[in-house]
Amino acid sequence: MSSFDIDLESKLHELQQAALEAFSTAANLAALDTLRVQFLGKRGQLTALLKGVGQLSAEQRPLFGKKVNTVKAVLATCLEQTQVLLHQKEEEAAIQAQRVDVTLEGRSQYVGQMHPLQIGLDEISGIFASMGFEIAHGPEIEDEFHNFDALNIPPEHPARAMHDTFFVKSDEKRVLRTHTSPVQIRSMLAGEPPLAIVAPGRVYRCDYDVTHSPMFHQVEVFLVDKDVNMAQLKGVLSQFLSIFFGKKVPLRMRPSYFPFTEPSAEVDIGCVFCDGKGCRVCKDTGWLEVLGSGMIHPNVLRSADIDPEVYSGFAFGLGVERMVMLKYGIPDLRLFFENDVRFLQEVGR
Amino acid sequence: MKLPLSWLLEHVALTCSIDAIAKALTDLGIEVEGIDYPAASIEGVLVGQIQSMQPHPNADRLRLLQVDVAGDQPLAIVCGASNMVEGDKIALATVGTYLPGDFKIKRGKIRGEVSLGMCCSEVELGLADEAEGILILDSSTEVGSDVSAYLGLETAILDLSITPNRGDCMSVYGLARELGAYFDVPLTLKSLEKTVFDADVATPVVHIEDQDDCPLYMAQQIEGVVLTDSPQWLAQRLQACGMRTVNGVVDVMNYVMLEIGQPMHAFDRAMVKGDLYVRRANAESMKGLDERELSLNAEHLVVADDQEVIAVAGVMGSLSSGVTAQTTSLILESAVFQAARVSTVARQYGSVTEASMRFERGVDRAQTAVALQRATSLITTLFGGRVSAVEQCGDGEWTKHKIQFPISAIAKRLGIDVPESTDLVLQGMGFSIERDESTIRVSVPAHRHDVRLVEDVIEEYARIYGYDHIPTVLPAIAMNVAAPAPKRLLDHVVAQGFTQVINYAFISEKQQRLFSSSPEKDVRLLNPISAEMSVMRHSLFPSLLANAQYNLNRQQSRVCLVEEGRSYFSEEKGFQEVNQLSLLWAGEAGSDRWYQDAKSVDFFDVKGVVETVLKQMGQLPRWQACDDIQGLQAGQTAVWQQGKRRVAVLAKVSRGIAKSYDLDGDVFVAEINLDMLSQSKKPAFKALAQHPSVTRDLVFLFSNACVVDDILAVARKASGKALQDVRIFDRYDGQGVAEGFVSLGIRLTLQANDRTLQQAEVDDIAKKVVTMMAKKFSAQQR
Repeated sequence: MSSFDIDLESKLHELQQAALEAFSTAANLAALDTLRVQFLGKRGQLTALLKGVGQLSAEQRPLFGKKVNTVKAVLATCLEQTQVLLHQKEEEAAIQAQRVDVTLEGRSQYVGQMHPLQIGLDEISGIFASMGFEIAHGPEIEDEFHNFDALNIPPEHPARAMHDTFFVKSDEKRVLRTHTSPVQIRSMLAGEPPLAIVAPGRVYRCDYDVTHSPMFHQVEVFLVDKDVNMAQLKGVLSQFLSIFFGKKVPLRMRPSYFPFTEPSAEVDIGCVFCDGKGCRVCKDTGWLEVLGSGMIHPNVLRSADIDPEVYSGFAFGLGVERMVMLKYGIPDLRLFFENDVRFLQEVGR
Repeated sequence: MKLPLSWLLEHVALTCSIDAIAKALTDLGIEVEGIDYPAASIEGVLVGQIQSMQPHPNADRLRLLQVDVAGDQPLAIVCGASNMVEGDKIALATVGTYLPGDFKIKRGKIRGEVSLGMCCSEVELGLADEAEGILILDSSTEVGSDVSAYLGLETAILDLSITPNRGDCMSVYGLARELGAYFDVPLTLKSLEKTVFDADVATPVVHIEDQDDCPLYMAQQIEGVVLTDSPQWLAQRLQACGMRTVNGVVDVMNYVMLEIGQPMHAFDRAMVKGDLYVRRANAESMKGLDERELSLNAEHLVVADDQEVIAVAGVMGSLSSGVTAQTTSLILESAVFQAARVSTVARQYGSVTEASMRFERGVDRAQTAVALQRATSLITTLFGGRVSAVEQCGDGEWTKHKIQFPISAIAKRLGIDVPESTDLVLQGMGFSIERDESTIRVSVPAHRHDVRLVEDVIEEYARIYGYDHIPTVLPAIAMNVAAPAPKRLLDHVVAQGFTQVINYAFISEKQQRLFSSSPEKDVRLLNPISAEMSVMRHSLFPSLLANAQYNLNRQQSRVCLVEEGRSYFSEEKGFQEVNQLSLLWAGEAGSDRWYQDAKSVDFFDVKGVVETVLKQMGQLPRWQACDDIQGLQAGQTAVWQQGKRRVAVLAKVSRGIAKSYDLDGDVFVAEINLDMLSQSKKPAFKALAQHPSVTRDLVFLFSNACVVDDILAVARKASGKALQDVRIFDRYDGQGVAEGFVSLGIRLTLQANDRTLQQAEVDDIAKKVVTMMAKKFSAQQR
């Protein structure tokens, strides 16, 4: 090898050392890139060194070329490793810079709530709708025919007086409906059996104390068809009550009296608070009265132009307030109409 | 009605427990609301005799007693009363006794002196609301015996709720009949003492005007009665049944009514002039026993003498003909009055009495004579007197109602067959029953006015056999399968952070007038609970404002409420009920947080919610300003009209009204008429655009008088088909904008279905918009 060789070779070696040194101390990716250009770029130091190759002999050239390639590879490897390292470092720095206090409260949305009675109404209507009952509505300002007479409650009937009716100032006699049963009459007059109807709504009684609200909610449910019987009434009730309370609740029917049904039955369920063992809510009886029911009275069918010789039906009326109080353990009827947002939000949650 | 167990057992010798009796009554359809155990409630209270009495060494008002209760030695008792002397017999609650009110007597030391019990007054025994001093017992009472026995307290009193169809169960006898048949125990038929008629005593003469009003009237005269207070046993029975004692005769009348179910009345013979007439009233009046003057008319059935009305039939006697301590001769009445006649007057005058309740439900014609005989016998036994023959006016006979039906009808209605053995129980209750292979024939006893139809008899079979036997079967319902209910506007509003409230539909007239100036459209109640709840609401706003006030007063900083309900109008075509959804927003729109400052709600917060929820319902309303809606602030009120009718309004509540609810901040409300929200059809799916859209922002200086809605309409028209969306992206009227002007930035979003829009096309559209803005609004581009 000539002196030229040694010179070139040492220059090559120096360049490699200088580049390795510079790469490893680069502060960031941008600086590294500058260095890459400086050493390995088209006009970089390595290229400049390669220009000296012309001075070499034909035999020396390939040997020198090999050496340059080796240096190139070494530098490329180093560059790559450094790049990865610096990239990691920068990522880490960026992550550190973005660190937040994760325990700070998030930007929240306001959440509204349905009224507990609406929740109850929707649940009840929904269960019956899924059983095939159709939802119907009727007016709240009713005439006496639909509210009383057609329901087999003639004017002098004691039950009529027991209804605590609100009367509306009017030329014709009008009342605020005392129950949702008038929808039964309206539906029967408007349609033909088979009729399977669920009628939710507001009703009014002139009674106002701790356990009575002058406005409350009922759901009337009835089925009119050929051969409807009391066993089916029991079946539908038991199905409904179990779905509503989310568990199999024992059901008891007691003979009772309503002018619009015959036979009539009060329906009790096993106390949902003590499972029938006896507690304050059920007054140690183990039973809770939940609704009135029965087979639709033939006079009622007749006043709605349905032949009781051909058709029969069952009907029952649910008090929504009571059902919701029992299901959600609400102790006081008045809470429903106080409309304290804290209460409404609590129950609906 | 209250049923003392001892009285029941007199009529039917049941041997089962009180719980079994209660269960049987329940199964028979007579609701047991509760059972009282008066004797047990003072168990442990003994008759004691005061052997010595000394002042308490450490308290002036207390005394130290030695009380003998027939134990090993007398008990030391500290007592605060002063109405007793040595030797008195008293009611002593011994240690361990629970007195009414769950009050346990413990061994105690009072001011240093041991006390082993308590001397009781009537208050502590639960017998009275007040008393002066302790109860002093009769000197003949046996020391150490139970005070409950001395007081004649019942072991059990059943509190029953009798349904309006079962007038026959409003008596001890009627209930005994039901239970006797149920348990198969025969009734103890009381042999009534045969009354000896005295020919010297005049028989009263009765005339009935119309036998439909009064099918039967029986009367009897008693002379030479010496009236005293009722004996203790009788008074105690009445008290146990919740009735007060009046005088001997009236008490007997009540006693017989409670026992047999036949209401009775007694007139002072000396005050009755001539015969008795059962007739409709003319225009006349009567001062009742309650000293109220009742004005009567032809609707009312009365009993009169030759001169005046002496009783409103079945409801109340007159004050002047009533029995008093001075009365010596009587006319007793035992009658059957038509239910409707009695209920009419009883309801009208709010004088529902024990008697009227029984007449309304129908009395047993088989008992009219029995009750009279029982009353006469009791009165003569207790108070002496000579008795006339019985006057009977009207028909003592009646025909039994007969019902016939196929046996299969029972299973058809109940879903189960009822065993034939049920007949026996029904027969025990007075029904006659015959059956062959396929048919049942039933004769209904006189006391069962409620059994008239086949269905009524089937109910009898069902209740006797037991509702528990009815199986549980699901019907095959011919389903009217409906699509699942779509989301309501209410659901969307709640999802926007609003809490649903439910308010009474009636409000005060004053509240009504806040938002409604049409009193002629008010729906008024004739018998409201109060003036505060007397008018059916035209608007849901007054109640919502009250709710806002209530909640803001309870430290809620942001009140967002929604109510769905009806409003009610009296229109020429009749009463109209409109389904409304109303919402209210008061207080903050956003609270003070680390990421934001608190902000009060403003018009556009509420408008944003209303627009969002309406959009979810497929509705894109056009809002207009409206300055003359009652109760709403001009300049911050927007309405959405469809033709002449208003679908929705959203507004700031006028400041005066907000103030009247103590609401200092701004309150915003909205009302949407749900009946007018047409169900919008879901549009068919449209392929998504394949080509990019372009936005172009244009800023103009408009006069303040220009309305955004008009500006956007012009922009839409000018932009043509390519316009996908146009909105105001910026609004500025600060420094650099002349007074009376506002700078509005309009962002056009443009897109073609078939190609990417070229720069030149977009420029062209923008140019058109600029030209039109200048032309229509004289708006300068900035």
